[in-house]
Amino acid sequence: MADSEVARGATVTIQVRDESLLERIVAEAAQAWAIAVKDVRIYYLTPPMIMFGLLMPFFMFFSFSVGRGLGAETSVARMLALTTFFTASSAGPVILPMERRTRTIDRMLVAPLSLVTMLLGKTLVGTFFGIAVSLVPLLGGLAFFGTRMADPLLLAVGLVGGSLAFSALGILLASMPAESPGAIMMPSTLLRWPLMFISGVFIPLADMAPWTRAASYISPLTYTQDLLNWAVIGAGAQSLTLDLLALPLSLALFLVPAMKLHDVSRRLGY
Amino acid sequence: MPEGSSAIEAERLTKRYGDLLAVDGVSFAVQAGEIFGFLGPNGAGKSTTVRMLTTLLEPTSGRLLVGGFDVQRQPYQAKRQLGLVPEESNVYTELSAWDNLMFSAQLYRVPRGERERRAADQLRTFDLYEKRHVKAQQYSKGMRRRLTIAMALIHQPAILFLDEPTSGLDVQSAQTIKRTVRELNGNGTTIFLTTHQIEEANQLCDRVAIISHGRIAAVDSPERLKQTLESVQAVEVAFDRAGPGMEAVLRGLAGVTEIAKQGDKWRLYTAEPPALLPLLFDFARQRDLRIITLNTLGPSLEDVFLHVTGQKVGVGTGGGEGEGVGGIGMGKGMGMGAGMGQGRGGRRGG
Repeated sequence: MADSEVARGATVTIQVRDESLLERIVAEAAQAWAIAVKDVRIYYLTPPMIMFGLLMPFFMFFSFSVGRGLGAETSVARMLALTTFFTASSAGPVILPMERRTRTIDRMLVAPLSLVTMLLGKTLVGTFFGIAVSLVPLLGGLAFFGTRMADPLLLAVGLVGGSLAFSALGILLASMPAESPGAIMMPSTLLRWPLMFISGVFIPLADMAPWTRAASYISPLTYTQDLLNWAVIGAGAQSLTLDLLALPLSLALFLVPAMKLHDVSRRLGY
Repeated sequence: MPEGSSAIEAERLTKRYGDLLAVDGVSFAVQAGEIFGFLGPNGAGKSTTVRMLTTLLEPTSGRLLVGGFDVQRQPYQAKRQLGLVPEESNVYTELSAWDNLMFSAQLYRVPRGERERRAADQLRTFDLYEKRHVKAQQYSKGMRRRLTIAMALIHQPAILFLDEPTSGLDVQSAQTIKRTVRELNGNGTTIFLTTHQIEEANQLCDRVAIISHGRIAAVDSPERLKQTLESVQAVEVAFDRAGPGMEAVLRGLAGVTEIAKQGDKWRLYTAEPPALLPLLFDFARQRDLRIITLNTLGPSLEDVFLHVTGQKVGVGTGGGEGEGVGGIGMGKGMGMGAGMGQGRGGRRGG
């Protein structure tokens, strides 16, 4: 209940306890964490998450990489980029339409928290998923193929930063006004597949035609793949600083339009 | 919250979806501490209004204040005042009742030490405590509804929005919810209740707004609304047997404007029930009939609803509200005895 109330004219104004900016940030961080934990419990083992987030990256890797004589480090770096990309970006398109259909998303939209807090909470879900699944090829490479990491700290930054950016990409795609996971998953798959082929995952950036190389700059996967190449192999095709800056920038670039799309949904009544 | 001042205000609230005008310039004010009913048929614009009041839907135009805060410009402050029970029970079916409540408590920043105590209290109130660790997907519709309400109350909101809270529920669940609404209101919570169930609004609400086709047709207390329909009164009579041509004769009695047969009873609408009673006794005497039940009925909220929504009052309006509760048996052709029954919707005895 409100702490105190005062009447203002004919309208009652319920005065809630004043809170500082820092208090609000701490409180909203806790709310984002609660949303993330709840989503992890509910959605991680759902069939679409397993299909699109867990099986798809391994399927893509074995389809395009096995039998091409890649070294262990190159294979691990490629596999890490694919898992963070596919897995992290799958969470949003699965979760948000389901929550829209069951109206459970209204619980978060009515609660006293900002939209960006809710979206950050949702972004964490994909981030955790991306990091967790990417540990499979990482540990497999270390255990069975003797893969060595050129820079373990950079690897951690790449996995976390890449997962955050790709999860935010998934949130952006899932923020389109629609209530069916299928209506979101189809266009998001159509968008994600071409990105793989212009991002240096299957064709190294150095071997690309000039127009493909130019297009690669618009893909966040380009920066993650190159960063992971720096971390695992010890060499990349572009500036490490550029790779490091691109990931947080991608996070912001995906979340801002996602918020705008939620405003559209609020106008349209989704 | 000081009583008598507005907890909720809507000013020329409008929502348009393309060519469809869902809510058309609605204005009303809900006083602090009252139960305000928003009554209307399906598709009238009730849920759309609630979604705008609770920040879920952006109005096309108009102004909304909740707890004194502008919903459009200060949504965060407005959201700190309110709790919402939506039309659909939106619990997380994959989680238990306990986990649903814990999540709601975290969302509303209920202090850590308070969460478990409040959750246990809510679960006991809504008779869910024994099954608190069972996933909600195994719950019945009524249990999910009760859990939805419990989740909306975990942060003890000053203003509670209830959208069709008892729709489709069994009697026991509906009674539990109505009792809780009264208790909450007794403790000072302002309640905004949307319903299409007239009797629910009649039983619970201090004031009722009747909405039809996106517009408010009337706002007042249930009893005052009924008083606006002085002309819609009725006498309900049941005889010991039916006879041929009864309807035509009853319809022809002086002062009868409409007649409706409801089960074994006849409901005769008239502006002057006392004047009709001797005619009915004569009717019974002449045909050697025994009057089993005789009630006078005032206008019901259902009659008001039909009147303000432009439908014909007095035909086919049978239902719970106008049912007599004190009917008396009478001998053949006898005069009226003491203790004449009066319908619940009525205001005077015969």
